[in-house]
Amino acid sequence: MNSAAADFAATRWTDQAMQARLRSRYRSERLFKLLGFAAVALSLAFLVFLLGTMITKGIGGLNFEFLRASDSTDPATAGVWGALKGSFLTILVTMALAFPVGVLSAIYLEEFAPRNRFTDIIEVSINNLAAVPSIIFGLLGLAVFLNTMDLPRSAPLVGGLTLALMTMPVIVIAGRNAITSVPPSIREAALGVGASKMQVVFHHVLPLALPGILTGTIIGMARALGETAPLLMIGMRAFIAVPPSGITDPATVLPVQIFLWSDEVDRAFIEKTSAAIIVLLVFMLMMNALAIYLRNRFEQRW
Amino acid sequence: MTLGLAFLVVLLVAAAAGGIAYVRASRLRQDGRLHSLPIYHGVYTVLWVLAPALIVLAVWTPMQTRLVNQAVLSSPEGKALPEFKMQRTAILDEARQIAHKEIVAGFNPESTTIAPRIAEAESRYAGIGGIAAILIALGSAGILFMRKRDRQFRARTAVEKWMSAILLLASLIAIFTTLGIVLSLLFESLRFFKLVPLTDFLFGLSWSPQMAIRADQAGSSGAFGSIPLFWGTIFIGAIIAMIVAIPLGLMSAIYLTQYAAPRVRSVVKPLLEILAGVPTVVYGYFAALTLAPAIRDLGVALGVESASSESALAAGLVMGVMIIPFVSSMADDSIAAVPGAMRDGSLALGATRSETIRKVLLPAALPGVVGGILLAVSRAIGETMIVVMAAGLAANFTANPFASVTTVTVQIVQLLTGDQEFDSAKTLAAFALGLVLFLITLALNLIALTVVRRYREAYE
Repeated sequence: MNSAAADFAATRWTDQAMQARLRSRYRSERLFKLLGFAAVALSLAFLVFLLGTMITKGIGGLNFEFLRASDSTDPATAGVWGALKGSFLTILVTMALAFPVGVLSAIYLEEFAPRNRFTDIIEVSINNLAAVPSIIFGLLGLAVFLNTMDLPRSAPLVGGLTLALMTMPVIVIAGRNAITSVPPSIREAALGVGASKMQVVFHHVLPLALPGILTGTIIGMARALGETAPLLMIGMRAFIAVPPSGITDPATVLPVQIFLWSDEVDRAFIEKTSAAIIVLLVFMLMMNALAIYLRNRFEQRW
Repeated sequence: MTLGLAFLVVLLVAAAAGGIAYVRASRLRQDGRLHSLPIYHGVYTVLWVLAPALIVLAVWTPMQTRLVNQAVLSSPEGKALPEFKMQRTAILDEARQIAHKEIVAGFNPESTTIAPRIAEAESRYAGIGGIAAILIALGSAGILFMRKRDRQFRARTAVEKWMSAILLLASLIAIFTTLGIVLSLLFESLRFFKLVPLTDFLFGLSWSPQMAIRADQAGSSGAFGSIPLFWGTIFIGAIIAMIVAIPLGLMSAIYLTQYAAPRVRSVVKPLLEILAGVPTVVYGYFAALTLAPAIRDLGVALGVESASSESALAAGLVMGVMIIPFVSSMADDSIAAVPGAMRDGSLALGATRSETIRKVLLPAALPGVVGGILLAVSRAIGETMIVVMAAGLAANFTANPFASVTTVTVQIVQLLTGDQEFDSAKTLAAFALGLVLFLITLALNLIALTVVRRYREAYE
């Protein structure tokens, strides 16, 4: 297109100033495009550099022993099993609380809520909670779960509760999007053959919206898995050499373990930290891949 | 008898009652039509058996911990415990773990002597609560069993009423959470402002929260002027990070939406999104390990004497990179919302693509982009791990990017992760900082959402 335009310009407009102006306009066009390309390339280069650094520094420390052992003051024997188990228990609590509550409130807001002041308040608080910094949830957990309700410190139970409050708005927002995308004809057909409003929602709308809800939930869970700051607030930063056996035992989680190891002066911990980061990234990548798979496999375009 | 066991028994009772109701309704159905399917009769029964018993258990569980603690502390062994509250709680926690056979021995020798008392008190109180719950479940099952049902009984309507109540309850949790955040921050902050005047906190220029152990030591009061912290937060999150994120994010969005082939876009966009998915602790480690030393060397090479290995620049740069996909997707959305006719019109008049973007698309999309940037700023100033790991602790009031500054979030973590008595000014200060942080991000979000909504309405 550029050369055609240039030909056109050359045959019809011979005015020197005009041509110079056109040339400079095309030059700035190319420059602008180059800038855009450079921005994308720079961002991707940073990603590659980040992942590359972690892999080259950590791959040596990644072996079976590392996955099986728990935290230790000696870098030679320290491993991530305790932290992995803590992460698993915490995410389990988060999931068990945030998923039902999130889905149910999404259903309420989309299908049942009357349009009034009160519903507006619910919507505003959900949208705000989704944007509150995670550390504030940590402060909430500390003040409410630990100091008021006397729940055990450093336990996956409290960590899971805190992260559930944080993840719930994400699930609500994803759930609402999934529910609105179910076409009204489905609801009308079900109502037409005599289903009650509740039956319409739970027998027809919810199953159709579920893949979308699950995708949002998994993405929210992946974020909770990588979260560190709120868990520091509720004391999940203690040195724990014994893997937790239940949700009320003291535990640490993988991101906090990474943070704790990164503070160690012993140079040998650099390899451990990077290896733990690889483990964490692999888990997050798997969760995101699952979300993408679910979306592609089950999502219906109406 | 433990509460877990009681819970299981209650579940069993409810399931059995539900099963009986289902069978009875099915029998009734053989003689003629029912208003509701048998399954609704079953669920109706389960709900009525379960709800009262579960409420009893839910109220009892936190009460039991208090009662057990009271009982143990009033026993002879309990009276011998040290008076200091923190130590006492630690011993009780350990003793509880020993009593539950989770650990063999505690760090404090007293916990072993206390453990049998705890086990005793727990089994006593759990017995009371558990049996009460089970009796209530059995009682409500009995009442439901005695009541005669005819075919017209509207079990489905009743179950659906229950369901709507549960749905409403679930959405109330969001309000309770918001209230919980506001109240807990406000409550602790008010206690802090009793110790430190509000004006000192908001306008003070010096931050050094170290409280001396003894009251007569020099500098025992500590200084809680938060201006340096907020300056550091803005410097890293709203200035350095945005200098990185705005051009890179905006130009990436423009390139991907306006220039790149659809296939390139479908590959590159998810890759960019990965940047937003990387846990912040990983960014923090990367900044501290790789970027910070390099930037210090650069600072020294440039002749900056105070170049620190915990520079504002390292933290800000990495935070900016983290924000890129966020800015990019917000810009992407708002450019896509500009009506195609405006773009086509500009191109038809002979403007080049870059001229169309700069002079038509971007001005039209500007409110959306600005809203997105405000949201990005709010995310950046609330970000914790990157600054905890890469920025410093010294509360410097400086605009030198090679120097070390500290942020609100770093100080919150710092104040709350030491071994502290909960009521000291130091820990309460963290809540005051949290309150201000919450209010700032709230204001930013509200402004951003209003801007974005207005702008959307303008084109729809």
